[in-house]
Amino acid sequence: MSSPELVTVVVDGLEVQVPKGLGLVEAAAAAGIEIPVFCYEPRIGPPIGACRMCLVEVEGTPKLQAGCTLTAQDGMVVRTAQTSEKAADGQESTLEFILVNHPLDCPVCDKGGECPLQDLTFRYGPGNTRMNFPKRTFDKPIPISPLIALDRERCILCYRCTRFSGEVAEDGQLIARNRGAQSVIATFEDEPYRGQFTGNVIELCPVGALTSSPYRFEARPWEIQNVPSVCGMCPVGCNISATTREGKVKRILSRNHPEVDGGWLCDKGRFAYGHLRAADRIADPLRKSDPRYEELSWDEALDEAESLIRGAGGRIVTALSGSETVELAYALGKLMRQGVGAHSAVLPEPVDRSLDAFRAPLSTIRDAQLVVVLGDEPVAERAPIVELWLKAARREGAEIVRQSAPDAALEQRLREAERAVLIASGADGAGLAQAAGLDREGSAAFQIPKTANGRGVSDGWSAAADEDAVNPEPIGLLIVSGDEAAADPYVRAMAEQAEKVIAIAMFRRLVAPWADLILPGTSYLERDGTYVNLEGRLQRIRRASIPPAPDEIAVLSRLAARFGVELSPHPSQVFEEVSTICYGGVPYGEVGEQAPLRPRVPASQVPVTVTGTRPEETGGPGFRLVTYRPLFSGPAVERVPELQFQRPGAEVELPRDAARQLGIANGQTVNVRSNGTSVRLRARLTRELPPGVARIPDEHAAGLDGRVEVSP
Amino acid sequence: MTVAEFHERVQELRQRYPDGRSAIMGALHLAQNRHGGWLPVEALEEVAEAMELTPAYVQSVASFYDMYHLEPVGRHSIEVCTNLSCALVGAQAVVDAFEVELGVAPGETTEDGAITFRLVECAGGCGYAPVVVVDQRYREPVRPGDVPALVEEIRGR
Amino acid sequence: MAAELTVLKGADERDLTKLDEYRAIGGYAQLENARGMTPEQLIETISNAKLRGRGGAGFPMGRKMSLVPPPEKRRSPAYVVANADESEPGAFKDREIMRRAPHRFIEGCLIAAHGIQSRSVFIYIRGEYLTEYEVLTAAVEEARAAGVFGDCDVVVHRGAGAYICGEESALLDSLEGKRGQPRPRPPFPPVTGLYAGPTLVNNVQTIASVPAILELGVERYSELGVEAAPGTVVYSLSGNVNKPGNYELPLGTTLRELIFEHGHGVAEGRALKAIIPGGSSVPVFAPDQIDVALDFDAVQAAGSFLGSAAVIVVDDRACMVQLGLRAEKFYMHESCGKCTPCREGTRWLVQLLERIEAGDGTQGDLDLLRDVCDRILGKSLCALGDFAVYCVASYVDKFYDEFKRHVDEGGCPFGGASSIEGVLAPSDRHAHAHLPLVPA
Ligand SMILES: Cc1cc2nc3c(=O)[nH]c(=O)nc-3n(C[C@H](O)[C@H](O)[C@H](O)COP(=O)(O)O)c2cc1C
Ligand code: SF4
Ligand code: FES
Repeated sequence: MSSPELVTVVVDGLEVQVPKGLGLVEAAAAAGIEIPVFCYEPRIGPPIGACRMCLVEVEGTPKLQAGCTLTAQDGMVVRTAQTSEKAADGQESTLEFILVNHPLDCPVCDKGGECPLQDLTFRYGPGNTRMNFPKRTFDKPIPISPLIALDRERCILCYRCTRFSGEVAEDGQLIARNRGAQSVIATFEDEPYRGQFTGNVIELCPVGALTSSPYRFEARPWEIQNVPSVCGMCPVGCNISATTREGKVKRILSRNHPEVDGGWLCDKGRFAYGHLRAADRIADPLRKSDPRYEELSWDEALDEAESLIRGAGGRIVTALSGSETVELAYALGKLMRQGVGAHSAVLPEPVDRSLDAFRAPLSTIRDAQLVVVLGDEPVAERAPIVELWLKAARREGAEIVRQSAPDAALEQRLREAERAVLIASGADGAGLAQAAGLDREGSAAFQIPKTANGRGVSDGWSAAADEDAVNPEPIGLLIVSGDEAAADPYVRAMAEQAEKVIAIAMFRRLVAPWADLILPGTSYLERDGTYVNLEGRLQRIRRASIPPAPDEIAVLSRLAARFGVELSPHPSQVFEEVSTICYGGVPYGEVGEQAPLRPRVPASQVPVTVTGTRPEETGGPGFRLVTYRPLFSGPAVERVPELQFQRPGAEVELPRDAARQLGIANGQTVNVRSNGTSVRLRARLTRELPPGVARIPDEHAAGLDGRVEVSP
Repeated sequence: MTVAEFHERVQELRQRYPDGRSAIMGALHLAQNRHGGWLPVEALEEVAEAMELTPAYVQSVASFYDMYHLEPVGRHSIEVCTNLSCALVGAQAVVDAFEVELGVAPGETTEDGAITFRLVECAGGCGYAPVVVVDQRYREPVRPGDVPALVEEIRGR
Repeated sequence: MAAELTVLKGADERDLTKLDEYRAIGGYAQLENARGMTPEQLIETISNAKLRGRGGAGFPMGRKMSLVPPPEKRRSPAYVVANADESEPGAFKDREIMRRAPHRFIEGCLIAAHGIQSRSVFIYIRGEYLTEYEVLTAAVEEARAAGVFGDCDVVVHRGAGAYICGEESALLDSLEGKRGQPRPRPPFPPVTGLYAGPTLVNNVQTIASVPAILELGVERYSELGVEAAPGTVVYSLSGNVNKPGNYELPLGTTLRELIFEHGHGVAEGRALKAIIPGGSSVPVFAPDQIDVALDFDAVQAAGSFLGSAAVIVVDDRACMVQLGLRAEKFYMHESCGKCTPCREGTRWLVQLLERIEAGDGTQGDLDLLRDVCDRILGKSLCALGDFAVYCVASYVDKFYDEFKRHVDEGGCPFGGASSIEGVLAPSDRHAHAHLPLVPA
């Protein structure tokens, strides 16, 4: 990429050198001058010049210009409100017009104190109002979903929210209705705004028109603290700010990491924090004394744990969730492996290190020419933000190919495209990436893991020792770490056979009645430590909220002492140990607010494992069934009432053309059958499925498998 | 026109343009004819399905243009232009005459659902004012005296 | 004096909606002629003929064509878009051209396409013009069947009732299947227009004037009209005049000739009170400006715009406050709602005018009315915002006493006798909006 030509722009008499074509708003900022804006937001597409807040005078053009729609050209001379009376008058006019119908309910507005309209009015606005007619009124606030409230009176029609819905999330659900002064923001027939990314419109809204219902009246800006952390809900690891008040998380905001999330969050990451206050949250150690559980003191709990571990005589298996921090996984490993020589573990998922040779920032996807999504797992359900990068790539003109399994043609196209990205989702991409030489400049390959920190957990566990595991038969003690593991049918099955079970979990309903000893677990919002995201980026998470019980590592360090294992109770110190083993000794302090991506491992140094295994060929009658774990599912989501409307409907996704040939229309109820079982589901026709595939969320696919027949 | 035929017609329309989305206005016109002159929710959903757009998007476009009706209308429509040129030569007297003759105010539909009476902005017949548009056909000019006969004619249809 | 006709030539004698009738008077010969020229030659001819846009802005067509990048510099195909959305209050000329000489218009489109080396023409016709749409589509089919299109195609696209879609960039969004809202410019359509391709947008009449230029040749064409703006214009004459209608006359015809000779004077022998020279959106003239010549520069020199050459005659029975209110209700109703000054400003102006008209206005309201006009002027995304204030501001300036009397006497000096007393607008009662209407 050649560095762009520099041009000189004069803003209010100040000369700045900026890249040709840079937005004038940014160019002015480079000169330290603010051009105030409302509708302008480069992240949601080209400027629309609607609000007219950014009016400036440009030498050579008689009329005021919308600064946001201009780009830096050499010799351009611009005068903003600071030095041009005309521009100042323009800006004041705009503000007066905006305020003509804007209600004066700032004191009861959640945006109050962090509101661009408030700030700009204070800085540029008319002191008084000359409007003495009744203002436009609407019913308010109206819920456009259980998550978002819309106040049409406050709306200034900057069209940020509708542009996000239409041009970023591409869900086409939030729209402007009517024309002129009658225009309002709306959803179709006031149906709820459903989608993976809806919450972003709250942050985009420059006024208090779109606000978070869960956050409504929860806090005032001067009472809150924002803790910089990282989302622990999926393998993307979006950078977040957790807004807290009195030690409680009140909302989650994006903390734009341009390489990772581009400033967007999915609704799971934004709203699932409600699980922290779940009704069945475990606060004390519990011991099973059939049929019920008795609360234990921590000393009793440690005695109990010690005796269960000793009693198992090494026949111990540890099942991990993939939501543990690197440090927690290492701590467990150190205790079990060094303390009792129990090396056997159920890791959340296999981790394929060979992809480290093709490592790149997720933002690489946007600039690609060809993006191949390999496998049938819907990317958006496993790693939602990756889907946004995909859409961005398509808008930038990239070709998106979705295919179940690799073949020679695909490999050739990946090799020939100048900038190619492979995203393996539910398939193994390593072999293909290697064969197509995706370690070249501008290309990359990603594997989408199932769990938020699967990679970090296996780093941590394997760092603790390197003896091989011998699986005990029968299992004397099963240690279940975390709620995801506790919810995993495979782990449950082991628990059936295990003589004893210790569970570390947040939610009682998940582990009672089958665990013998239950230790309270914590959430990623309550921990310090590190996560490794799907890029292989090591990121720092911070405790935002005070957990109801001590941090797991603190407990494990006391337990470890009883087995003669030295384990610090402080994540920072635990990290230093892990780091020297697997992260080249990066100090904890340097993991950083906006973590960089570690350099690629040369392809020569990574072992290449299997290439993509071909699923049964797509011939034969009906469709090949693919079931998947929906984004809006899992222990945390299940405990947040406001998120329930986002749970997937009883739907089957079908390839559009194939379905229409079967006489199936979008939204129609259809019969889906496989070996004896038959289910009635709503058909959703899409062009984004590999051919011959039918896709159903697992919770609606009970009893179906293999190939399915679909009929109206 | 059946839904299937409608779907076919829309696919033809989409073919005419480099970007099929351009066919949405034509599709809305077709859907409106299919649904008796207005666009109930099902009509918007039909257009969305045929155009491969969301119903919300279709509604946002439909609600922008005056000729797409999102509320029920009568079997026939009478529209009177009251913009400057028509106003200057007595459009309001024509409006009043229709109000009397039809017994409804502009924007309303007669009880029997026969006629929707509306005011419109400049119809482009200023030289033959006052302009009245009956079921999308221009009547130029129309004087208050012509109104009873005109209404009778329409009711007779 | 029977002026030479260009766009409507032959329409009185023959049924020019028929291909053979049009051919009988040399129809489509100029297309052949044009295709015999190189695109550069063609553009040069149109430039030399100084053909200025008839859609409102008066921009030279030749220069616009030359702004379209040549094929080798294009990233996507180029388009010709004919603006047949004619919705300017007072204007009804394009309608007549399309109904009576559709083939001449189509021929012009194809010539323009050759000029910018485009193979695709879109005609955006306002939805209300159903009959004209049928005539035009029939003519297009006939011409296509007769093979005059060559490798070019013509698509007629029906609008659905939105004045703003006459604004070229809003038209393009509408044609792309979006809400018809204007785009920020630059980039301008000749560079980035329909489907982001280079696009030539011209008015029906501008395009229909092109064949005559080739037929007569630049010299003879330039003998029509005035030096700076040759050719004829179809003036749409309406309002309080004895013989309203369309009159195709040379550019530079005076208001007096148009109104008193062709229009046979003010209706019922009333006194002339005001003249709107270019459609409702241009500043009004007082009677003493009756000798202004109707060409772009002369009208502008006199403080208004030729606009769409739609002349509205207002006699002494009309109340200017009511006229301003009615005009402003139109702009409020047609404002697309995208940019702030127009969306909020037009509504505010209507509120102020209603109050003044009702006799409840104060001097402060009158001053504010004028000031709000200035605050909208020049700040909106497209010119509709400007249009919405040219009219009202000029009514206030030219008829200040009448506005002041409403304030001082607490009511309309006409005492209910104004010719537009109580006239309703669609925005007053209209059953379009899906949501409960906002009280205006
Ligand atoms: C609000 C608004 C409405 C307009 N309406 C029309 C119209 O109905 N027909 C038209 O030809 N031009 C209209 N125009 C002018 C067009 O934007 C454009 O200048 C014109 O079509 C260019 O064609 P021309 O150069 O041949 O005049 C309108 C402009 C504005 C701002
Ligand atoms: S001036 Fe009016 S019509 Fe033009 S963009 Fe602004 S709001 Fe829309
Ligand atoms: S910020 Fe430029 S117009 Fe809104």
